[in-house]
Amino acid sequence: MTLPALLVVSAALFGIGVYGALSQQSFVMIMMGLELMINGAILAAGAFWAFSSGGEPKGQMLVVVFMTVMAVEAAIGFALVINIYRVRKADITEKLKKLKT
Amino acid sequence: MTEPLDALFWLSSTVAVFSAWRVFRADSMVRAAYWLMGSFVGVAGILVLVGAEFLGLVLILMMAGEMTIMAVFMVMFMMNPAGLNPMNMVHQHRTSLLAGVLSFVGLGAIALLASFPQAPPPDPAAATSDLGHELLGGSMLVFQTAGVALLSTMIGSIALAAQRGRYGSAAEGSEEPGAPIDEEDA
Amino acid sequence: MTTPLPLWLAPAVVASVLAPAVYLTWVLDRWVGARVAGRRTSLGQTLASPLAEAAQLMLQSSPRAERPDRVTWLLAPASLSGLAVVAVATVPLGPMLHIADAPGGIVLFGAAIALVMVAVFLHGWSANSLFPLMGGYRFIALALSFEMPLALVLIAAALPAESLRFSDIVQSQVDVWNVVRQPLGLPLYLIATLGASFWGPLAFPDAPDLAGGTTAESSGAALLVWTAARYALLVALCAVGAAVFLGGWLGPGLPGPIWLAFKTAGLVATVVVIGHHVARVRLEDFVVVAWTVLIPLALVDVFLSGLLVL
Repeated sequence: MTLPALLVVSAALFGIGVYGALSQQSFVMIMMGLELMINGAILAAGAFWAFSSGGEPKGQMLVVVFMTVMAVEAAIGFALVINIYRVRKADITEKLKKLKT
Repeated sequence: MTEPLDALFWLSSTVAVFSAWRVFRADSMVRAAYWLMGSFVGVAGILVLVGAEFLGLVLILMMAGEMTIMAVFMVMFMMNPAGLNPMNMVHQHRTSLLAGVLSFVGLGAIALLASFPQAPPPDPAAATSDLGHELLGGSMLVFQTAGVALLSTMIGSIALAAQRGRYGSAAEGSEEPGAPIDEEDA
Repeated sequence: MTTPLPLWLAPAVVASVLAPAVYLTWVLDRWVGARVAGRRTSLGQTLASPLAEAAQLMLQSSPRAERPDRVTWLLAPASLSGLAVVAVATVPLGPMLHIADAPGGIVLFGAAIALVMVAVFLHGWSANSLFPLMGGYRFIALALSFEMPLALVLIAAALPAESLRFSDIVQSQVDVWNVVRQPLGLPLYLIATLGASFWGPLAFPDAPDLAGGTTAESSGAALLVWTAARYALLVALCAVGAAVFLGGWLGPGLPGPIWLAFKTAGLVATVVVIGHHVARVRLEDFVVVAWTVLIPLALVDVFLSGLLVL
């Protein structure tokens, strides 16, 4: 359990998240990709806190901020998905090609 | 680091990465959501192992609720909720695969090649109380800003998602007149 | 500070604590049920009823739902019992005897209860059938409502101890128990307990009006594990309630674990009696009451406890 090992795991999570966010058609699956990217970021922040900062509490603070970002992303994302579905009956990105009529 | 800790670390990382990969290979949205939760549980395990016990447990606490809500949304919106048929809904597959691999290789290279400052490991017993003092001490402004951001998120998402707005039905006002839904375009 | 048990002994201790507790809770539930129904049963019948039910379930043929998610279906009862075990393990049994007294014990317990929501929903979803899925949805609505009051009253109980560790919380009640110091705490916690173990007035997901809810398609050993896990979960919730609000192992004369067992048994009996005497409420009403009454009350509890500490 060393800093590079943790960072490689976090890079793998981030990479899978990038792939998912770019490749998926469904809005909710795109959000999953975004959450995986944040997951990688949380792991990296935790790793730096443990191995590089010597227990500086601001490192943990960063993780708390990431969690907040994730909660905000999920809530706003779900609200937008509901709204888009109600207005355009769209649940995948391809149905939203036109921003105007 | 001692041997059992290392073994637990590799177990948690395998869980985290394997579940993350399964998220986009699952046949059902519910399975995808809970694979994602599995990935978070793996990361939470690693956080506990490095001494951030509180953060790891809070991550699990948050994710259990969030992923369940996600699963409900999936069943509501998706055409294949039960996962009886294979599900593969991707676009620009090759590009995104490349982007994913590139970001992994790039970040991994940084992780392996860069030299980071080394510091002695933190005292796990003090980690939680340190965080508490930081939350209500030095970083109080950040903490409160996060709280206000969450409050405005709640208000905003209720406003976005509410069926009945202040000026009548939400769908009425927001739908452009004469904008037919292009079904075959999809 | 208490010393932890050796790692290899912990599973044995949890099993030897939990198994009799589950059995006795099951017996109590059947006995109170028979009394309420006006049936006279002999002592032997009552004591044997869980064993008879278990034997009957074990002899049943295995379920045949149409294309269930087999892995998840088997995993759900197993994970519910696992979560109950985790929740029990967090409770310190005595001043020198504890199983997993984590520094963030309350958060660990909260995470286990949050994952109960996942287990119940997956149990309902994986059967690929209508009634179980409706049961799963009901539990999500229920769980999202009771979890906030549950978390808040536990935080309030942690305030005087200035620690998230269960043994510190018990130790902080040497002079006066939390049930006196925070009168709002225990009632709110009991409501959350009814919800988390979906019991009595809050028995929504596995209700008879859904033909058994999430268990509608289950039978045999899986159903037995699920039933036992529900009793174990109830015991776990009551043990935590006894530790957090009733002073845990504290008490004169008798050794600590005995006191904890008495207090837990008292809470279990309360919940079981409530379960057989109070009619089920409507889910919509409960959700509204939870968000407009219970959460504000829990917040008042937190603020008052904070004021007392200051």
